[in-house]
Amino acid sequence: MDFLYARSWDEALAAKAERPDAVPISGGTDLMVDLNFDRRRPDALLDLNGVEEFTRWERVNGHVRIGAAVPFTRIINEIGSLVPGLAIASRTVGSPQIRNRGTLGGNLATASPAGDALPPLMVADATVEVGSVRGERTVPVREFFTGPKRSVLEPDELIRAVLVPVADGPQQFAKVGTRNAMVISVCSFALALHPARRTVAGCIGSAGPTVLPTPDAEQYLEAELADRRLWDSRAELDEAVATRFGELAGAHARPIDDVRGTADYRRHAVAVLARRTLQWTWTEYRRAQR
Amino acid sequence: MTATTAIGAGLNRIEAAAKVTGAARYAGEIPLDGHAYGSVVQSTIARGQVTMIDADAVLARPGVLAVLTHDNAPRLHRADDTDAELLVLQDDRVRYRGQAVALVIAETLEQARAGAELLDVTYQPEDHDVVFAADHPRLYAPEHVNPNYPTDTSVGDVDAALASAAIVVDATYSTPAEHNNPMEPHAAIAQWDGDRLTVYDSNQGATSVRQALTTLFGLADGAVRVLSEHVGGGFGAKGSTRPHAVLAAMGARFTERPIRVTLTRQQMFAMVGYRTPTIQHMRLGADADATLVALEHTAYSQTSQVLEFAEQTALISRLMYAAPNLRTRHRVVALDVPTPRWMRAPGEAPGSFALESAMDELATACGVDPIELRVRNEPSVEPDSGLPFSSRNLIACLHEGAERFGWASRDPRPGVRRDGRWLIGTGVASSTYPARSAPSTAAATALADGSFVVEITASDIGTGARTALTQIAADELRAPTERVEVRIGDSDFGQAMIAGGSMGTASWSWAIAKACRELLHTLHEIGTVPPEGVTAHADTAEDIKAQAQLSRHAFGAQFAEVRVDVDTGEVRVPRLCGVFAAGRIINAKTGRSQLIGGMTMGIGMALLEEGVMDPQFGDYVNHDLASYHVPVNGDVHDIDVSWIDEHDDRLNPVGVKGIGEIGIVGTAAALANAVWHATGHRHRHLPIRPDRVLTSLA
Repeated sequence: MDFLYARSWDEALAAKAERPDAVPISGGTDLMVDLNFDRRRPDALLDLNGVEEFTRWERVNGHVRIGAAVPFTRIINEIGSLVPGLAIASRTVGSPQIRNRGTLGGNLATASPAGDALPPLMVADATVEVGSVRGERTVPVREFFTGPKRSVLEPDELIRAVLVPVADGPQQFAKVGTRNAMVISVCSFALALHPARRTVAGCIGSAGPTVLPTPDAEQYLEAELADRRLWDSRAELDEAVATRFGELAGAHARPIDDVRGTADYRRHAVAVLARRTLQWTWTEYRRAQR
Repeated sequence: MTATTAIGAGLNRIEAAAKVTGAARYAGEIPLDGHAYGSVVQSTIARGQVTMIDADAVLARPGVLAVLTHDNAPRLHRADDTDAELLVLQDDRVRYRGQAVALVIAETLEQARAGAELLDVTYQPEDHDVVFAADHPRLYAPEHVNPNYPTDTSVGDVDAALASAAIVVDATYSTPAEHNNPMEPHAAIAQWDGDRLTVYDSNQGATSVRQALTTLFGLADGAVRVLSEHVGGGFGAKGSTRPHAVLAAMGARFTERPIRVTLTRQQMFAMVGYRTPTIQHMRLGADADATLVALEHTAYSQTSQVLEFAEQTALISRLMYAAPNLRTRHRVVALDVPTPRWMRAPGEAPGSFALESAMDELATACGVDPIELRVRNEPSVEPDSGLPFSSRNLIACLHEGAERFGWASRDPRPGVRRDGRWLIGTGVASSTYPARSAPSTAAATALADGSFVVEITASDIGTGARTALTQIAADELRAPTERVEVRIGDSDFGQAMIAGGSMGTASWSWAIAKACRELLHTLHEIGTVPPEGVTAHADTAEDIKAQAQLSRHAFGAQFAEVRVDVDTGEVRVPRLCGVFAAGRIINAKTGRSQLIGGMTMGIGMALLEEGVMDPQFGDYVNHDLASYHVPVNGDVHDIDVSWIDEHDDRLNPVGVKGIGEIGIVGTAAALANAVWHATGHRHRHLPIRPDRVLTSLA
């Protein structure tokens, strides 16, 4: 196995162009597991730990631009108030050690439907900056995943940063695991309210081949909020609306049976999480008025 | 009994600094000059024959020194009591998926592992049978159950008593396969010097490993030395010699170099034993006043095609409650699976889940409090054997626990306490574990500088044994603990009991007390310590043989509170309370840790742990710690552990009962009983997973 090392974005792109088979490694929290279990034996690794810019974040035009290798611990501690949904999800990743090493870039590149950071990025309308020696482009997270552990990344491309809009309303994330920490989620759900646009966005994790948006649930809730003028009145949300929202969200799940849980259980649990995250975010929205 | 100064104190672990600074060496870290690495190749079929192993390509790889297979591996000798799992690479049969079929030896670990992964093994597979069931046609009654208890027992006429009982509970419970995976994987490094063999090995008892290797390699007594100074957890998985140690010794003999074999985490799931799944049929009959008239416990378990391990699951029902008509039975089926072995409280852990759940069901059926039911059925002698108890303080533990837990105010009705989305319930169960001692030897030496050295082949598997034994020796020698060095984990110190069956401290302390008393007697006679020091030896074989026939057991009571999420079926455990009567507790700190550890493992047993068998490939699919879940900090909240002051002078000189296992006995039942109290639904199959809870609530 060849071990390539890059000290800058340009060096990393050049190395990736020359060796498109090289697998990037940063925190290594997913890749090292695969290597240890002999699930993968890549011909080359491309170590990105020398690329300093990957570990920086900055505020840019109402967004937070998060370098691909900013670890979850720093997302929680340094920008949690700007991207609350992402911070909540980041707190549920692995153990403290894993959160110290694991990165957004890794979560995106691995493209597992169980990646905890992915649903909050979806509902926040984040975009991914990717590049190669051929040039750079941005891809909305909503268009990034093409299947289980598959994405639009070309073999010569690397993830540079993630642009996350600063939260314009309450955001939540919840997951069910078979224990209370250090667990791959059985299913998860992220929700963001966008009061300025009067829209909502939901996303299911770990109950389908990719993370899954929930358009039927969103349309239903947006219509209810509009018809009842709740965005303006900030009145209490009818329990039946939250329940229906949950059911519609659950219907978007495309789960399988596995050792972590049955498909039926996941469909049900997604509905519960969607309902609860709606209740939490709405309560927060109502409080924000006072 | 010993006058105590050090005993009972919460002395810090003597080797703590060495462990946290990395100075303490574990078996897989011992550096021997010129050593190489062996990597185990496991079978990928569950049953059949190895027809060809083409080693040429692997032997041509850089660094590869040898490929051991059944064609070229050293021949092993067997005795009547040889563990057949240790007869590795002796024939071409595959008896379970994950069985060792080759060992690739190379200069580096990476070269050995790469070679093992690339080795071309061809099989002739046969249909396998890996699915355990209580109606399996090949179930049979073993000659005895682990380690040497009668398979079936019967007192009175259970069927007649049940037929006329006012109240009957008839229910079937099950527990899944559970895996004991200590933090330190099994590792050994072996070195030959002519016909002398030295092995640094991770185990729970160096003299038992020495004995096994002596036999297998046909060596003279004293030719094998096994060292295990520090061991990173065992839970029964290191209770006897495991194949890695034999493979290391074979590899070293073959290559004439020291060979280190360390199992991977995944290999451990097939190669070091696990807890058998059980199915248990309980029938309890009681009078209208909740007096037991009959108790029947029938337990089914699995074993392998390699050797018979018949778990003593129903043993607990022979001693717990005063049923005049009492029957216990064990049936076992040999499947094409790895051999189940000891896992913390084999027998009592799964057995207590069934018995203590059934008692809870009986309490409900009789309309009495579960503690009161146990009080009413407290036996005066061991019900099955009629033997008197050396001491039995179950009721004291139940009462003390009820006080600490706040049981008195409990509303017995199930499913009526709700806090938002949470249903809340509490439960109780009894605990017990045998308190036995086994023959051991020890030596105590007085040195001229006024210090002492005690040598015994004890094993500290993380329990704090070294520290506890130092406290015992110090009190016996009437010296401060700083003046006493206890050396352990070297088979050259002579035969001693393993750290198993909760018998370690009871057995070792006896030999140490005897040696120390003998030494003090000698010192009294000679007056001053000679420059070369003076040593006293002790062997407790005769003392133990002369023990009176008694029923010796530790007892305890466990209380649990659970919160059950009505929407997701998740179960949370805000608090557990355990009160134990386990004789003298030597070290308050490590003793408490042992009991908390056992109860924590009980949370795993109740809610999380489940080895899932894949019927197609014959393998436990969740064979790693990412998918086989044990409790983490987030799952464990308040665990209140205490013990009552129990003096039992019919156990051993120090009055020790042992606490390694009792902590896990009863926890799962207390939790299941609490889930019933919270929800009104009885969970008879472990683990109590969210999907099971949710289905029951629907």
